[in-house]
Amino acid sequence: METILGLRTDNFCILASDMTAAHSIIVMKSNEKKIYPVSDQILMAATGQQGDAHQFAEYIVKNVQLYKMRNGYGLSTASAAHFIRQNLAEYLRSQTPYNVNLLLGGFEEKTGGQLYYMDYLASSHEVKYGSHGYGGVIALSILERYWRPDMTEAEAYDIMIKCVEEIQRRLIINLPNFHIQIVDKNGIRVLPDITTATVLSKKSQA
Amino acid sequence: MAGVYAVERPPSGFNFENCRRNKSLIEMGFQPPRAQKTGTTIVGALFKDFVVLGADTRATSDSIVADKNCDKIHYLAKNMYCCGAGTAADTVMTTDMIRSQLELHRMMTKRQPRVVTANRMLKQLLFRYHGQIGAALVLGGFDVDGPHLYTVAPHGSTDKSPYTTMGSGSLAAMSVLEQRWRPNLTEDEAKQLVRDAVAGGVFNDLGSGSHVDLCVIKKDKVDYMRPYDIANVKGVKQGKYVYPRGTTGVLTTRVIPLVVESEEVKKVSGEAMDTSA
Amino acid sequence: MSIMSYNGGGVVAMKGKNCVAIACDLRLGVSQYNTIATDFEKVFQFGPHLFCGLPGLATDTLTVKDKLRFRLNMYELKEDRKMSPQVFTSMLSNLLYERRFGPYFIEPVIAGLDPKTGEPYVASMDLIGCPEKPEDFVVSGTCGPQLYGMCEALYEPDQGPEDLFETISQALVNACDRDAISGWGGVVYIIEKDKITRKTLKTRMD
Repeated sequence: METILGLRTDNFCILASDMTAAHSIIVMKSNEKKIYPVSDQILMAATGQQGDAHQFAEYIVKNVQLYKMRNGYGLSTASAAHFIRQNLAEYLRSQTPYNVNLLLGGFEEKTGGQLYYMDYLASSHEVKYGSHGYGGVIALSILERYWRPDMTEAEAYDIMIKCVEEIQRRLIINLPNFHIQIVDKNGIRVLPDITTATVLSKKSQA
Repeated sequence: MAGVYAVERPPSGFNFENCRRNKSLIEMGFQPPRAQKTGTTIVGALFKDFVVLGADTRATSDSIVADKNCDKIHYLAKNMYCCGAGTAADTVMTTDMIRSQLELHRMMTKRQPRVVTANRMLKQLLFRYHGQIGAALVLGGFDVDGPHLYTVAPHGSTDKSPYTTMGSGSLAAMSVLEQRWRPNLTEDEAKQLVRDAVAGGVFNDLGSGSHVDLCVIKKDKVDYMRPYDIANVKGVKQGKYVYPRGTTGVLTTRVIPLVVESEEVKKVSGEAMDTSA
Repeated sequence: MSIMSYNGGGVVAMKGKNCVAIACDLRLGVSQYNTIATDFEKVFQFGPHLFCGLPGLATDTLTVKDKLRFRLNMYELKEDRKMSPQVFTSMLSNLLYERRFGPYFIEPVIAGLDPKTGEPYVASMDLIGCPEKPEDFVVSGTCGPQLYGMCEALYEPDQGPEDLFETISQALVNACDRDAISGWGGVVYIIEKDKITRKTLKTRMD
């Protein structure tokens, strides 16, 4: 039902998530934020069973923060991805597995933007762009078509609009609003939400 | 979070940590994969002063021949061998475990282990797992009481019989044994009989195939013949499918040289292993 | 659908004259037909002359790789010597058989040269650790059946590294062409006494 998207470039990593919280067939909320800042340089988008996604994301965020307090230095994106995967894998084998799908975005001077794809089975892989959910299937082909490693922030935001437009056109599920966050050398920033209105004004410009 | 200190010694025995996850995956509609089977013909025959074990050499996973020349006559002790049929991993691991226990037993008692001992160890192990360990075994050996032959079923029941066979080809093999087994055959006749019994499985059961391995266990002597008979010869290839160099399109090549920078030889003074009780 | 074909992929290894080769495809899929990445290597290096391919469920590929690395490191620290392929095989076999009743969904392939003698070595295993050590080649993964056919026809004993590369590459490429969920690029490692050669292959991308 839910959709999250992400892409990395040499200079930043950008994540988008829909803002719908549904219960059964009813939309309960259309301003839910599914992107969590993990550290100054790391973002995480989580979908899945709503309780699970939120609970697991909080747990990860707090533990990554705790790690920095204990050790005096934070986790790199790769280390954070490994930590999250390990936790997901351990919980998968417990009585209370977390049913969550994740995208982990980060930025480091050496590597530039980084994006990790993770699913509820605890498969993890570094990718150029990735997505989860039904909308993700549609968005993936757009990301494949337009992605370049040297994109600017504006271009990336534009691609996200393209993805949202297509999702809203093709997907039977109603996902009006998308929340966007970016992480680059200056840290994490929230970009303006992509809504039905954004898509419409974009279209009228063209 | 994981501790700083590595766990030195993991707990022994089976580990069930994946079971719950695997169960939920299966409930989601995924098919669990199947393990490799021996899909076998194994044969044992007892005579006046020796015992002959025989096996085919095919291992299958579903309908694919996974191994064309696998070893199904497992070593247990100098005077004892054991053929395995059923789930391939189970037969290998079960006989491996019993082999090590028998060796410890031999060192403890300072006597050659007896076939009944191995038989008891095997049946107690298998009975403990209610047939979940899918190993059907034919155990043969020669000890102070002479030659012995046992059959061990996956649930832990055992038979002591003059001739026996296990595996998917057992029906074909048994018909040969029923017709031709006599208690006082010569060694050559016995070998031929067991070969023919295994060949019965090889040619009439699709789970069995390839060659025939034999093992003749006599007093103080073991003849392990692998292969005893190449029952199926593959047609000789008349040509070669060799691609000229440069056929394959290569995108990138990276050569990682392995340079030995220094070599150090440490002499370890020979010290006999402590085998005292 | 089988659990083994959730992510897709295949590995093959072949013996040559004083050399061995191991190769894998690069696709990572989800729910069979959704391709997530085309740079997912399933072959890992565990020593100067020791490689292991772990095709199957991607999460278990990663978990088992980590577990193997840990056990291998502990062995090499305790024993102060390199692990031979034979010891590595029985270590992996025991790791898998320990989980006889709740297995990892991987079917490993091992390739290497004996550290002392330089003797070529290949082995494979089913998912509960039944070792198989043939004289010629081993295959595994969703394109395993196709690889069996290719290798059975193409394999010649005692090939040098250049010819072995062509044989294993053609076996992999053509087997992957007949498996919808394998392919999307391939990697071949040729292991010789004095060097490792890693080549990426040009393949169909469909």
